Amino acid sequence: MPEAQATGVIHDLGYRSYDGPRLGRAQIVRALIWHSFRSAWGIGRGIKAKIIPILAFVAMCLPAIVNAFAVSQGNARLFGYDVYDPQLRVVVLIIFIAAQAPELVSRDLRSHVLPLYFSRPLRRDDYPLAKYIALTLACLVLIEVPLLLLYVGTIASAKSGHDVWNQTKALIPGLGVGLMWAVLVAAIGLVLASLTGRRAYATGIVAIACFLTWIVSIVLIQAEGGITSTSTGARIGGLFSPFTILDGVRIWLGGTSPGEDANPGRFGPLYGVLFVILLAACLGGLATRYRNVSRS
Amino acid sequence: MTRSVMRWHRSTMPSNPGPGPGGPTRIASPVIETRALTKVYPGNVTALDGLTVSVAPGVTGLVGANGAGKSTLIKILLGLIPPSQGQATVLGHDTRDSGETIRALLGYMPEHDCLPPDVTATEFVTHLGRMSGLPPTVAKERAAESLRHVGLHEERYRLIGTYSTGMKQRVKLAQALVGDPRLLLLDEPTNGLDPAGRTAMLELIGRIGAEFGISIVVASHLLGEIERICDHLVAIDAGRLLRADSITSFTMASQVLAVEVEEGLAQLQAELAVRGLTATAQQRVLLVPLGGDDTYDVIRDAVADLALPLCRLEERRHQVEELFRDEGKVQHA
Amino acid sequence: MTIELRNVSRWYGNVVAVNDVTMSIGPGVTGLLGPNGAGKSTIMHMIAGFLPPSRGELTVATASDPAGRPSWRNPDIYRDMALVPERDSVYAFLTGTQFVTATAKLHQLADPDAAAVRAIALLDMADAADRKVATYSKGMRQRIKVAAALVHDPEVLLLDEPFNGMDPRQRLHMMDLLDKLGSEGRTIVFSSHILEEVERLSGTIQVVVAGRLAASGDFRAIRRLMTSRPHVFTVRSSDDRTLGAALIGRPAVTAVDLSGTGLQVRTSDYGAFCRDIAVLARDHGIRLREVQPTDESLESVFAYLIAD
Repeated sequence: MPEAQATGVIHDLGYRSYDGPRLGRAQIVRALIWHSFRSAWGIGRGIKAKIIPILAFVAMCLPAIVNAFAVSQGNARLFGYDVYDPQLRVVVLIIFIAAQAPELVSRDLRSHVLPLYFSRPLRRDDYPLAKYIALTLACLVLIEVPLLLLYVGTIASAKSGHDVWNQTKALIPGLGVGLMWAVLVAAIGLVLASLTGRRAYATGIVAIACFLTWIVSIVLIQAEGGITSTSTGARIGGLFSPFTILDGVRIWLGGTSPGEDANPGRFGPLYGVLFVILLAACLGGLATRYRNVSRS
Repeated sequence: MTRSVMRWHRSTMPSNPGPGPGGPTRIASPVIETRALTKVYPGNVTALDGLTVSVAPGVTGLVGANGAGKSTLIKILLGLIPPSQGQATVLGHDTRDSGETIRALLGYMPEHDCLPPDVTATEFVTHLGRMSGLPPTVAKERAAESLRHVGLHEERYRLIGTYSTGMKQRVKLAQALVGDPRLLLLDEPTNGLDPAGRTAMLELIGRIGAEFGISIVVASHLLGEIERICDHLVAIDAGRLLRADSITSFTMASQVLAVEVEEGLAQLQAELAVRGLTATAQQRVLLVPLGGDDTYDVIRDAVADLALPLCRLEERRHQVEELFRDEGKVQHA
Repeated sequence: MTIELRNVSRWYGNVVAVNDVTMSIGPGVTGLLGPNGAGKSTIMHMIAGFLPPSRGELTVATASDPAGRPSWRNPDIYRDMALVPERDSVYAFLTGTQFVTATAKLHQLADPDAAAVRAIALLDMADAADRKVATYSKGMRQRIKVAAALVHDPEVLLLDEPFNGMDPRQRLHMMDLLDKLGSEGRTIVFSSHILEEVERLSGTIQVVVAGRLAASGDFRAIRRLMTSRPHVFTVRSSDDRTLGAALIGRPAVTAVDLSGTGLQVRTSDYGAFCRDIAVLARDHGIRLREVQPTDESLESVFAYLIAD
């Protein structure tokens, strides 16, 4: 009986071309958004990159946790959905943006990697757009998740369906305010961070710009008699900082929690207009920045 | 001057590289065509001035264009900026309206540093594969393959910041390959590499051109390496076309023989004169016009009769460099 | 000899950048070669007096001090010496003329403006000299750096990767210039990775590998010294087979390879082969069309030195 012939095969390990489907621009941008979103949270980047995002997130959630505990003891909900813990929110957001916006844009500027993006089937504006959406989503998580925790913690001790309904009714506008915050703060952080490739400088610029303007507004308002004063100065003092502008818009749109940072009164529309202008200016600046970046 | 005779693979490369094994057929029409391409920047700086050139498939060298001209041409070809006048088509698509289509078919390796130090090569090339439009798993696979082809298989999980210059250049090449481009634009690929690194990179580029079936345009200042790996050459000067031709037409035999003897050069020169050959001395060699086949024999006999040590006898070839020697003034790009 | 290094070492903590190097560099053009990180820049900076050797002696002898003095902490050596570093080290906001004139003034030349004009003309930068350096291409910046280095007519010129970024015409021009300066008796040392150009320009080379001096001298002579590597010649003739048979009969020839493109002859004795080839061809009535050493180039010599 003859033995079976031993056989062998050599496979061609040479270059293989790709004839499969290629994703269009929309999906490429989506991939870039997801990649940037992960960078904003330090995912895929070692422990050190995650410290600030995680601390920020935990800090933001603390009031919700404290509230859950308090409500379970029978107290009323501690924080309004539309303002949450105002001071904490501003401080944590500034820190988060100042630390993470440079992660998204300054790193790429520093390593001069942009020509590699622009030589791909993307448009020039797609890059800043993707970064913006990614950072906005990251801020949304940072703002809205604690609100949801607040909600869940409160309705956990709710006594009736009516209670739950009330909470839900109050939550929705709060989420809307959160969206407004995310949209503006991300724009500001990104456009300022995109000014430089040095991350330390970018962080500094963002932090200083945000804090300084915030303090200026608060001081101006205080000088004019404080939040409750009806003088014009007190009313428009809040126009000098994005955070007070946001608060002003909130109150103008009917926010019920007491305004900690602004009380626009009849100047409400002005706050609204300035919000839009500021947002447009930041986004326009961002787009222009990347249209003019040329290396090689 | 003695010519470097280390032409390791030029002789084994086909003159017109066809498709690689198992690769799809590439069309034989020009990969890049420009017609009266002009670009003037504000402040009256003319980077390109009526450039008309046609780049055939294969490996083409782009030389001479310095500074503004080269980077402007590349940006126009990538569809990133419009020309002031004239037209450019890449792989049959007009750069003015089909920039995105072109960029999907092109792989670009920039001249300058463009790598982030704190990611691994694998992550980086995979991400850029996604940016080229590859689906997620395909991007991962092609990234690994590209890194293998450029010789970074073992080091692909290390951070790019730990790489040597040669390895970084290879990562740049890998990201250009990951999207399976039809045309590669390599800008000074041997920049910063030491001789061993240069040799390795040039071999790699030659292999890509010959085996992978991808057309390549190499922008370089180094004429020696262009002669080594390119089939064609496009020489640009002051934004205009100086000359575009196949390399062989630049390096044609010149009908002049170069003779080198270890000693007794003057003696040989005199002897050749006696036998009716006028030889000009140039550093270590004698240049003898090639009258006919018997010139070889006269030289052989003269050397043998004088018992001189013959270490070189070759027909001199023209060099691309001569193109640039002809003009007197140095360019101010 | 102008520049003398005797057992020079340079270390940074545990990192030894230069390891016990003894070399002499004289007038003419010398090429300093080596892989990246081999220590070429360190050696150049030590010669230029920017770094002291950690051990050993380094002296530079010029017309004003033929006995030789160390360049470290000896600022008046800069009257006779200049360094063109690799890095971009030009104030971009100055014009070319301003930059070169400023350097001339720093050298306390008697007529800095005239010296600047002369140096700029030497580098053929007169047309662009009144533009700001920020508008220059990379090759032009290199040239203005060299102009500034030449403004005080130094006897010793050190250039670190001088051709970087230059287009072909600029390279040819620079090579001609260095060749001219070298034949005027100056001592020129330049480092480069482009071996074709080093081969053309310099008589002697100094090859540094991993901080040590691997070889020095004329590269052809260095090749002769590599006796463990047989020399390989390509020969084409009117009758390769007969010639090949005749060659294998010669004691110097160790192997003959016959292929469609000609003969590849391996020989252990370069000189003997060179003497034999024409005689053999004549005696057998064979026409010699081509005789080429295949691994005599600087490129090959360098590769062998690195590999060892």
